Amino acid sequence: MRQNFRNWPVLLVLFVFSAPLLIMLTFLLVDAFTTKVPGTMVPSGVTLHHFRFLWTDLDNGSWGIWGVTLNTFNFALFTSLAVTAISVTAGYALSRLAFPARGFFLGGLIVLHAFPTVTLIIAIFLILQLLGLYNTLIGVIVVKAALELPFGIWVMKGFYDTVPWEIEMAGVQDGASRFTVWWKLILPQVQPGLMAILIFSFLSGWSEFILPMVLAPGNDAQVLSTYLATMLLDGGTQADFNLFKAVGLFYALPVIIIYLVFQNKLMNIYGGGTKG
Amino acid sequence: MQRSSWLGLAFLSPALIVVLLFFMVPVVLTGFFAFTNMSTATGVKGGEYVLNASGLRALADAGLPAKTLDQIEGAGYRVDARGLEALAADFGQPIADEFGKLHTGEVFAKRRDVERALKGLRSNPIRKTRDRKAAAELFKRSMMNERFPTLPAFEAALEEAKIPEADRPLITKVAYTGWVWTAENFGFLFSLESTWQYAKNTGIYVVFTLSFNVLFGLFLAIATFYLPAGQASTFRAIWFLPRILPPVLYIVMWRWFTWDTGFISTVLSGFGVAPKNWMLDTEFHAWTTIVLINGFVGASMGMIVFSSAIRAIPSSMLYASEVDGANRLQQIWHIILPQLRWPILFITSYQTMSLLTSFEYIYLATDGGPGGATEVWALAAFHTALNNYGGNLQYGLGATYALLLVVIGLLASLAYLRLFNFRNLLIKPRIEG
Repeated sequence: MRQNFRNWPVLLVLFVFSAPLLIMLTFLLVDAFTTKVPGTMVPSGVTLHHFRFLWTDLDNGSWGIWGVTLNTFNFALFTSLAVTAISVTAGYALSRLAFPARGFFLGGLIVLHAFPTVTLIIAIFLILQLLGLYNTLIGVIVVKAALELPFGIWVMKGFYDTVPWEIEMAGVQDGASRFTVWWKLILPQVQPGLMAILIFSFLSGWSEFILPMVLAPGNDAQVLSTYLATMLLDGGTQADFNLFKAVGLFYALPVIIIYLVFQNKLMNIYGGGTKG
Repeated sequence: MQRSSWLGLAFLSPALIVVLLFFMVPVVLTGFFAFTNMSTATGVKGGEYVLNASGLRALADAGLPAKTLDQIEGAGYRVDARGLEALAADFGQPIADEFGKLHTGEVFAKRRDVERALKGLRSNPIRKTRDRKAAAELFKRSMMNERFPTLPAFEAALEEAKIPEADRPLITKVAYTGWVWTAENFGFLFSLESTWQYAKNTGIYVVFTLSFNVLFGLFLAIATFYLPAGQASTFRAIWFLPRILPPVLYIVMWRWFTWDTGFISTVLSGFGVAPKNWMLDTEFHAWTTIVLINGFVGASMGMIVFSSAIRAIPSSMLYASEVDGANRLQQIWHIILPQLRWPILFITSYQTMSLLTSFEYIYLATDGGPGGATEVWALAAFHTALNNYGGNLQYGLGATYALLLVVIGLLASLAYLRLFNFRNLLIKPRIEG
């Protein structure tokens, strides 16, 4: 296409607006591994001191970073397994099977998909108290899985919609039941969808902050997001940002790795958007 | 029903159960809770009946006769198993046995009467007056500070203390420690000046953040569309990062950027500006930071949606416009923007909703400060019900705040049904069983 206005003013504006992000990201990496004289920005030496939380106790009432990491992993893993398991059948039902009130359920799905779930947190808090699941990891997993579910079903239904009808018709023609057709013929076709939901809900669980903070504030169910947030909010004026950044890097490492590996797939799903 | 119907319902049922339990029930319960006075003090599961000093003051203020108050405070001295046990523990089993044999079931109006009865014991009476007084006190039966787990138990106690029938309902009401139904939350909420402040703050927050999101999202999408592929993907990746990084880490970076030991302060101190907290020092700075924090995340969503919409424009249209001599601004104005009408509408409505209800970033960044200047409605609901410094969490009042958001959320989500092309979704399954 014809070059009929110059690129550099656009680049300049982009650069100015991106500058805070670039600075933050650069110093996230730099500050985690270096020391510097207070009042300057230039590093004066390389150190691993900020990562001491990995091998010593920080004496902040938590039960150690590895326990917290294990919690976070369990939380993210079981949430994503639950979401995937439930969406894979529900998505198929909504996409392919004829049953009463199907239109109603589809409409309900759209409404749920758009509904801002964070408004329900107070009621969910009280429900978990009544169920006795308050302050347990299981409680948070169940709630997180439930809130991710409309998104999972929506994506899964989309993947089922793209599978050609002919595959199913051929299976039914050959005498297989609908269940067999789904299990043997359709499921292999939607494996990318399964992967996408698995990865996305894992990342979403790994990053989740509000639910663990409200529903499981105790030490036993602490996850990395609440671990870091507690540090950040209790720090006061004596905030040790080098430590925060080291913990943050440790926390974000799986996210960054997964993102780099599955970049293209995720870009499409994030486009659907669950964050403001 | 056909077999595929059963299969369909069976396939759907796990999702239905979960959705029912964690969407429908919470929506309905938010409505219910809004009509209660639930708080930390009342508990969630119901309560007991207990009268304490403050309850008694409340009763006095409510105009309960002094005589009734006296009856509550001192219901007399009763020789019962509990008192005898205490007596045995303090003064020995023989005394308790003898006293119990002589007086079990008796009620004395005054302590002196009990003391006299104690004095009358034959074996080893309690010699010191002070001890006797203490022993008599063991039999004092008052309704004060005694916990009654059920209503019948409390009513029986009222009956025993001979409290007039007319006064009982009021006493019962004051003594109950559990939650009760009430419609006062709504009136209370709107009588608070801060409520209007929250509404105003929410307005500022949504309008400015949304404008930033949409305008800057548009700018990013169009700019990266025209830039060479390498530069474009670099900027897309940079702007995508806030979206994938965990929110807590994202806020750590912003706090560092604006803190008094952080980036802005350090750089400006080179120019002789005293270090200060650039996020929390003034309301204006707090709002700027909040809008940017949310905007940097929100803009990336706009960027993705708008970018894919722009790529969907047939390139022949753009080529044709160039042949006709249109420059890029004309292209943007006459070709790209009209094509983006629906995506813009989608982003606007979607983000209005999510901005109205989200409080995560504000909580982590300013926590509503300085001095409540950035306390938005959703954050106020959260603070009232789940997280405040006073320690008395008012679930009922918080639910009242949340109810408004739930209702708005429901209405907006229903509107999505209209926005989406619902007919498309309703394509009939082609295999019927």
